[in-house]
Amino acid sequence: MRDHADEWARHLDEALVDLGIQPAVAQRLAAESVEEARVSGVAPRDLFGPAVLYARQLQGALLPAESTGSPTASAPGRTLLQLRGVTKRYGRRSVLRGVDLTVRAGEVAAIVGSNGSGKSTLLRICAGLTRASSGEVRRAGRVGYVPQDGGLAELLTAHEHFMLFGALQGMSAGRAVCTGEQLASRLAWRPTRDVLVQHLSGGTRQKLNVVLGEIHRPDLLLLDEPYQGFDHGSYVDFWHQVYGWRDAGAGVVVVTHLMHELDRADHVVELTTGAGE
Amino acid sequence: MERQVPQQWLHGFLDLCLLSLLEERRDYGLGLIQRLEEAGLGSVPGGTLYPALVRLESQGYVSASWETSVSGPRRKYFSLSATGRATVADQQRRWHDFRDGIEAVVSGQVTGVGGIGAGHGRGAK
Amino acid sequence: MSAAARVVTEMTLRELGRRRTVLILLVLLPLSFYLARRDLPGQSLRMLELGLGWAVSTLALFSTVAARDLDQRLRVAGARVRDIALGRLVAVVAIGLVLGVSYAVLVALDQDFHPYDGVLVGLGVVVVVGAPLGMALGAILPKELEGALALMVVLAVQMLADPAELLAKVLPFWAVPEIGYYTVDGAGQDYLWRGVAHAGVSVAVLCTVAAVAAAARLRLVKLPEP
Repeated sequence: MRDHADEWARHLDEALVDLGIQPAVAQRLAAESVEEARVSGVAPRDLFGPAVLYARQLQGALLPAESTGSPTASAPGRTLLQLRGVTKRYGRRSVLRGVDLTVRAGEVAAIVGSNGSGKSTLLRICAGLTRASSGEVRRAGRVGYVPQDGGLAELLTAHEHFMLFGALQGMSAGRAVCTGEQLASRLAWRPTRDVLVQHLSGGTRQKLNVVLGEIHRPDLLLLDEPYQGFDHGSYVDFWHQVYGWRDAGAGVVVVTHLMHELDRADHVVELTTGAGE
Repeated sequence: MERQVPQQWLHGFLDLCLLSLLEERRDYGLGLIQRLEEAGLGSVPGGTLYPALVRLESQGYVSASWETSVSGPRRKYFSLSATGRATVADQQRRWHDFRDGIEAVVSGQVTGVGGIGAGHGRGAK
Repeated sequence: MSAAARVVTEMTLRELGRRRTVLILLVLLPLSFYLARRDLPGQSLRMLELGLGWAVSTLALFSTVAARDLDQRLRVAGARVRDIALGRLVAVVAIGLVLGVSYAVLVALDQDFHPYDGVLVGLGVVVVVGAPLGMALGAILPKELEGALALMVVLAVQMLADPAELLAKVLPFWAVPEIGYYTVDGAGQDYLWRGVAHAGVSVAVLCTVAAVAAAARLRLVKLPEP
């Protein structure tokens, strides 16, 4: 039985490190858990469950304290994004009609709507990649953009992406990689060197996408349903991260089709599929 | 009779339960599991309970210490910190409000505009 | 070159270095042109050079188009168009020059051209002309297929047109046959310099077009403050 306990402990240690926990902390947690099980006279697997799942639970418990979701005590900061009467047409087809939205620092805005309702287009307009057909778009500060998919080089590794995005903001390679790894750990991901993006799972690619969007510490974050392919734990981590950004004073705009998180958002913009005019 | 408590119901209140148990007296992991079971809340798995304790510890509400148990090996004991004491009172108050609200709805004592409650009351408690 | 552009070059090279099949075909394309006409030393050299030009411009085209989404993200995050475009251009030229040097060695061993400078210039010219040509088409045309077909048109016409005609002279690789007269047929140095001048003009024009097209393709809407 001693062997099984040690093996379980080793699995727990590895799983925790994979989720971005510091190796020293992971080792301590594994040792303590095994000791607790031994003193209770129960096998670790029976007391805590499979090591990999237990690691996930511990990782979630070790995240910085969750924000209460109540409005920030201080007044929201400067206006980062202002949309007034924004419309977008492609020929005769009207994709967006009269969208209004104001996002200030320390606020989260959710853009909801069914498929084809122009959510991604709206986000692209906020990012400056597409020009609105009419209406007013104003924006301040550094912006980070996380598209729904794509925007990655398939044959580069995650670390190389950190270096690339970092260097184009003036970060040194070392700092970019360090920042990237730190941001990844908040999404329970430890990027492995030498693994190409094309070999990453969908959920992990999306985590990379999110990290690349925030690596330069933007004031405004624009995210287009970035949690596709996330397991439940990662989905929770992601929203935890969204409110983390908010509490740190950034503005966040998230396109989502899931209603669950809306009660904590400061603004909700609902887009409907318009019949073309 | 063993009541079947859906795990999800307990999930939101596990922290409150643990803090309350620790307010009563300090304890170790298995001891807390035992006491929850005795209270009729079913058998909480270690995989759920221990991370909750880790969370409470990282939030500063609970402090842990190692003690050599009677049989020899060390055992991790948890006790409420000063911050923990302050927060448990607050959380208990909020629980009471919540409980009263649910009870009122469940026993049909809410009188809305349409007088829903009055007509469908299931009798006084 | 700025640090940012250097990183783009490095990453482009790493990316391309991982595509074994592409690298093999890049080597084979000009080589196959060369071997097909090896019976005629002059023709084989010209075909080798045009093949190398085609390979380099195709590489530049596809690199540019494939990176479009990534480049847009980089732009939103604050990267400058010049760093992105220049970085990629240098990477493609670097690969082209490595190939060029390899072929120069091959030709030196396989054939007997005196003086040898014409061979080196010819190979060098197609690399520095081919790279911005591919990048320009990649920025102007929306997708790979359109770009590849446009490139084929340019290269096919270049190969088939009579170098003496105006049509060939307005195409980017006219320097190849012109320098060829110097290298193969022993014509005077003026042919060499005319070829180099034409290449110089082609490079200037194509780089300008590529720069303008990249700026347009990767432009961001300038948004005022709230």
